[in-house]
Amino acid sequence: MMDLKYSELLSKNKDLEREDTEVSYKVLLLSNMIVHQGKEIIEYSLRIKNINASIELGDYDNILQETKKQRKVDATIIFWELANLVNGLHFKIDLLNDKEIEEIEHRAKAEINLALLNLKDCPLVVFNKFSSFLVSSLCISEDNLSKLAIRLNEYLDSLDQNNLKLVNLDNVVRHIGFDRSYDLRYFYSSESLYTIDFFKSYAQYIKPIFISANGKSKKVLIFDCDNTLWKGILGEDGINNIEMSSDTKNGKIFQEIQSIAQHLSKRGVIIGLCSKNNFDDVEEVLVSHKDMILKDSFISIKKINWIDKVSNLDQISKELNIGLDSFVFVDDSPFETNLVKKLLPDVTVLEVPKKLHNYPTMLRNNLGLFYNLSQTSEDFKKVKMYKQQNKRESKKLEFHSLDEYLISLELKIIIHENDDLLIPRMAQMTQKVNQFNLTTKRYTEREIEKMVNSSEVLVLSFTVDDKYGSNGVVGLCIINLNNKSSAYIDSFLMSCRVIGRNIEYVIMDRIAKELKSIGIKTLTSQFSETLKNSQVSNFFDLCNFDLVNQKEACKDYVLLMSNYVPSKIDYIEVKKL
Amino acid sequence: MNKSIEERVRNVMSSVFDVSTDKIKNDTSPDTIDSWDSLKHMNLIIGLEEEFGIEFDDDDIGNLLNFDLIKIYIEEILSIS
Repeated sequence: MMDLKYSELLSKNKDLEREDTEVSYKVLLLSNMIVHQGKEIIEYSLRIKNINASIELGDYDNILQETKKQRKVDATIIFWELANLVNGLHFKIDLLNDKEIEEIEHRAKAEINLALLNLKDCPLVVFNKFSSFLVSSLCISEDNLSKLAIRLNEYLDSLDQNNLKLVNLDNVVRHIGFDRSYDLRYFYSSESLYTIDFFKSYAQYIKPIFISANGKSKKVLIFDCDNTLWKGILGEDGINNIEMSSDTKNGKIFQEIQSIAQHLSKRGVIIGLCSKNNFDDVEEVLVSHKDMILKDSFISIKKINWIDKVSNLDQISKELNIGLDSFVFVDDSPFETNLVKKLLPDVTVLEVPKKLHNYPTMLRNNLGLFYNLSQTSEDFKKVKMYKQQNKRESKKLEFHSLDEYLISLELKIIIHENDDLLIPRMAQMTQKVNQFNLTTKRYTEREIEKMVNSSEVLVLSFTVDDKYGSNGVVGLCIINLNNKSSAYIDSFLMSCRVIGRNIEYVIMDRIAKELKSIGIKTLTSQFSETLKNSQVSNFFDLCNFDLVNQKEACKDYVLLMSNYVPSKIDYIEVKKL
Repeated sequence: MNKSIEERVRNVMSSVFDVSTDKIKNDTSPDTIDSWDSLKHMNLIIGLEEEFGIEFDDDDIGNLLNFDLIKIYIEEILSIS
């Protein structure tokens, strides 16, 4: 995208504009400067990632008024330019006394508060931190503008608003440089400060936020071993001669790579190995090599064998129950990377650079792929849970029927009703779950919070435990109580970790029982088809709902509660907290 | 094959103003293209500067308000450099 000429980008962006084949992702762009060039550039950066973004520009220098209009948008981006807080502030400020500057600071804070209050129902607010780079880039003495920027940014950091994402604009300017970022000609003639290059870079920088908000972040990172996690070839050089310690220059690089991977694992990214090696050799390194930082406990899945990598990756995808489009694969061999690119185009492939010293930076530059808007404590437990899942998968083979296997798992469901402690996790699930998701409605924490506190909405989340441990909070069902006798299932989703255990039928039994007991006679819902949820397309049919209307990707269902036939599953215990 | 200056100007205008190239005539100006406002004019200048690798003079930008003028202006810059 950085190589694309501006006029080319404009026409390509136009070509990607879809006439509402899918619902568009609406973004409002507000600013106290001219930033209209940002519209198409940000749109394009998201459209090429299959997010049908459409950006609306607020009126120039009208941030407060625009926030007050309370538009129905999915996200708001705010460029609040320090230099234009007061016209010409970037040079006037050095002539002001402390009291006058303080007044500007107080007013700015009050305006920020009001704008954010007005935007409290907007699912996502991307707010650029204040920058004084325009005047301070090479100035050793601290100027008033920089001091003000620091104070305002400290204030922004102290705000506790869960739809607010702060963006460090200085990072973008630092990355591409002052001259490429600022267009001083248009700054003085038209109140427009930033160049096309700046907007391209900015769009790349913030893209992970929107990718995460649209549930499209990567979840799995698979490494090859030889010359990818350590220097050398284990099978030839032997365990004592592979390098990954700080004692050698190559070792340092791989130590860094392993540390990045360990950190990702702790943040909930699933780390796996896929390597052509003898299983026992690699196992020995993982368990007993003193320099190994990415120890066995951080690795969720391993395919160490002599089978081709395409089949192995495919198998990993099946075992984890996660689509290949959530995968990132790292390998040093062009043969392997090209093969995977060709045969598994959904996988994002990274090749270890020929100049090894560029490897850590390359990996770091791609960490945005795993960016996660709502990082929750669930993520930290994930490694363990996927490990358990693997135990379960391999165990599966020993049983003669799935039921037999499921019975042996000693499954236990605990339902939490309107539990405000689980709001972050519930919002995260709506954003991330794609496969078992009947309506695929994405919600922010703020939206979930509203539903939890409403008497007309029943928000049920559930944990699933089995004899191997707890899977954590893995499912969510949101039911709107329309009136005394009818209800509507707004959302029903379940993490792929627990698919294939008949949990969903037991949950439906419970919902039916509960709704009946409060006098509900009819229950309606909808199945909205996406690219990923075809496996649940007949779920409502299986639960005895009647299909009443079908248009394109949507199927409307009705269930007369008196017709509901509970499932005969008796091996899953259900409790409500 | 090199595209003519005329053709390249037309292409940039077409993408900036979001109109087809055949709508862009020699006398095309803000009077004949609705979307040619002051903001789009900025985009046009940026797009042309990038396309031809040149920089327009500050004082001329505001006057370059029709296709022919722009074409001649660019030809001049390119012939000097």
